[in-house]
Amino acid sequence: MAAAAAAAASATAAISGALLPHAVACHRLPPRPQLLAVSSSFRRLSLTASPRRASRLVPRADASAEAGEPEPAAEAEAEAVAASTDAEVEEGEAEAAVAVAEEEQEEEDEPPPPSKPPVKFGEIIGILNKQFIEEAEKVKTLPDLRPGDIIELRMQRPNKRRLSLFKGIIIAKHKSGVHTTIRVRRIIAGVGVEITFPIYSPRIKEIKVIRHKKVRRAKLYYLKHKLPRFSTFK
Amino acid sequence: MAAFLRSKCSSVGRTLMGGLGNNLFGAVNSSVETVSRPSHCDPIFQQIRTFIQMRTNLKVVDNSGAKRVMCIQSLRGKKGARLGDTIIGSVKEAQPRGKVKKGDVVYGVVVRAAMKRGRNDGSEIQFDDNAIVLVNNKGELIGTRVFGPVPHELRKKKHLKILALAEHIV
Repeated sequence: MAAAAAAAASATAAISGALLPHAVACHRLPPRPQLLAVSSSFRRLSLTASPRRASRLVPRADASAEAGEPEPAAEAEAEAVAASTDAEVEEGEAEAAVAVAEEEQEEEDEPPPPSKPPVKFGEIIGILNKQFIEEAEKVKTLPDLRPGDIIELRMQRPNKRRLSLFKGIIIAKHKSGVHTTIRVRRIIAGVGVEITFPIYSPRIKEIKVIRHKKVRRAKLYYLKHKLPRFSTFK
Repeated sequence: MAAFLRSKCSSVGRTLMGGLGNNLFGAVNSSVETVSRPSHCDPIFQQIRTFIQMRTNLKVVDNSGAKRVMCIQSLRGKKGARLGDTIIGSVKEAQPRGKVKKGDVVYGVVVRAAMKRGRNDGSEIQFDDNAIVLVNNKGELIGTRVFGPVPHELRKKKHLKILALAEHIV
């Protein structure tokens, strides 16, 4: 009996247009149509209105009213709200069309955007260097080579199957991107031999660091004037 | 005593001359003397790293009997000879009872050069001294042995006999 009385009270309140406090808290005004700019290209901007349909709000007085069917008065009010939102959407679309026309005129007047500055030749060389170095490092892993390292280097001779071996001390390293070179010195049969190798060359199959001699110079050219035993390796 | 001082002075003078020029005046001294002298005066290490041209002194690294040859004509190019080229030289020092004697004009193939020589694979090779192997005017070897390392570029120059007799090929 009490539930029926409460339902009747809520119906009369809805008809009179006075919403209860908890119904006011739940009620939201329909949002205004927003203009979304979707840039298909630099020249043309297609502007479309995206109206959000306002969900039909029914003032609810009690949980028991949910279970029952909505009354005809509440339905009529909801239809009126929906009609008003449709009218607002149509007005928004008209405004959007006007705005699109104005923006197209402005874009025609504006000069085209400036082109990107050209890539310099030095930058291209740097990019290519990085690419070649990455490809070379995929094939073989290079150790950290420093002057003073005693290395064993295996290289492929042209028209030869077996790898030739060269062992010596690094007396200089010249960093030049993909053409980074090391100069290796060794005494062979009492004669000093210095060979400069490009370390990223595909002919060089393996570089192995045997040990490191403690040095305090970046270039060990003084070894030419030292005794042969400083450059002799078994 | 005077003779002793005179010999000392002469050896010092020879060492200094050897250090100044691109030649090997002191190269044939004994090993004890070489070690006792300061290393920067050793003429083997005082090579000017350039072309082998007229008046360049070269070490002979075969058993033909010559010890030192002075270049008098380069048969390759305007500037001078490089690794693998043929030169004409005059024998400046020779062993007794050798196949050649002092003053002979001989042909020789440069088997080691102090100047850098690039290779096809991007590497470069250089030696600490200038050395030749004596050949006759047909290109045949006078000696029967070759000492020390030789580069494999001689194969391209058709000096296969030198490569066959060499101790090391680099």
